[in-house]
Amino acid sequence: MDSPIQTTSPSETLRQWIIDYSDALYTRAFYKTSNKETAEDLVQDTFFAALEAIPKFEFKSQPKTWLISILNNKIAEYYRKAYKGALQPESRQGFRNVFDIYFDENEEWQKDQQPTEWQIEQSNLLDDEGFLRTLQNCMNKLPEAWSAAIQLKYLEEKKGEIICQELKLSSTNFWQILHRAKLQLRKCLELNWFNLDL
Amino acid sequence: MMRKQITHFFVLSCKKATELIEKRSIISLSLIEKIQLNLHKSICDACTTYEKQSQKLDDILKAQIASEKAAEENPLKNEELKERMLKKIQK
Repeated sequence: MDSPIQTTSPSETLRQWIIDYSDALYTRAFYKTSNKETAEDLVQDTFFAALEAIPKFEFKSQPKTWLISILNNKIAEYYRKAYKGALQPESRQGFRNVFDIYFDENEEWQKDQQPTEWQIEQSNLLDDEGFLRTLQNCMNKLPEAWSAAIQLKYLEEKKGEIICQELKLSSTNFWQILHRAKLQLRKCLELNWFNLDL
Repeated sequence: MMRKQITHFFVLSCKKATELIEKRSIISLSLIEKIQLNLHKSICDACTTYEKQSQKLDDILKAQIASEKAAEENPLKNEELKERMLKKIQK
């Protein structure tokens, strides 16, 4: 017998949300991670987390907004894991100490590595597809933990202190990883974009 | 060695100075670190240039990572994923 007030079961609600929003979530996940499988996993995790939480969802906010906020947490979690995983000693072996490239034994800049003014002064870089491609290539060349560190820095609008706390696990501080990442990224963009014609 | 340490307290090495530049973009520096960094930059053109370029990269990365432009201009479809998930929640 049907109850007078028609209630929808959580799984029916979720079905409708999957139909309505899975492409939007997938689009977001893909552009934030640049990887199809990762994006698919994150979207699935998001919907299954939502299914568990539906009884608590009070329909005060838009379902889409709520789902996106769950997805954003999943994306940040993914990068935190990537960061921590790639800092483990066994996966750290293999890349040279980046500091040796840039600094001498007195920790001063190597003569040929001193930063000098870039040749290209361009204001609308982010509208330039060539630049975006170069940036993506340079990010892809970084070790996983380093690009994850960069993502984490800008992904969430969190205070730096909080990010540092969440990531604290070794003697290497978050900003020390960022330091290495920025040195490499800076050099890569200099060689492949800003001073390309030199 | 001792002399080097003393010199480095007053004047940071370039490695340390650039590290502080990155640290400052996440958390605030102590008063001593601020003084050390400013002192270093006042005598080091390379690190001053590094700072400028690093901040420019920060602006670019921040705008790029927060950007929804690509997603808005080129939204994706993934029917296969949709089907897979719908199948999974069938009672």
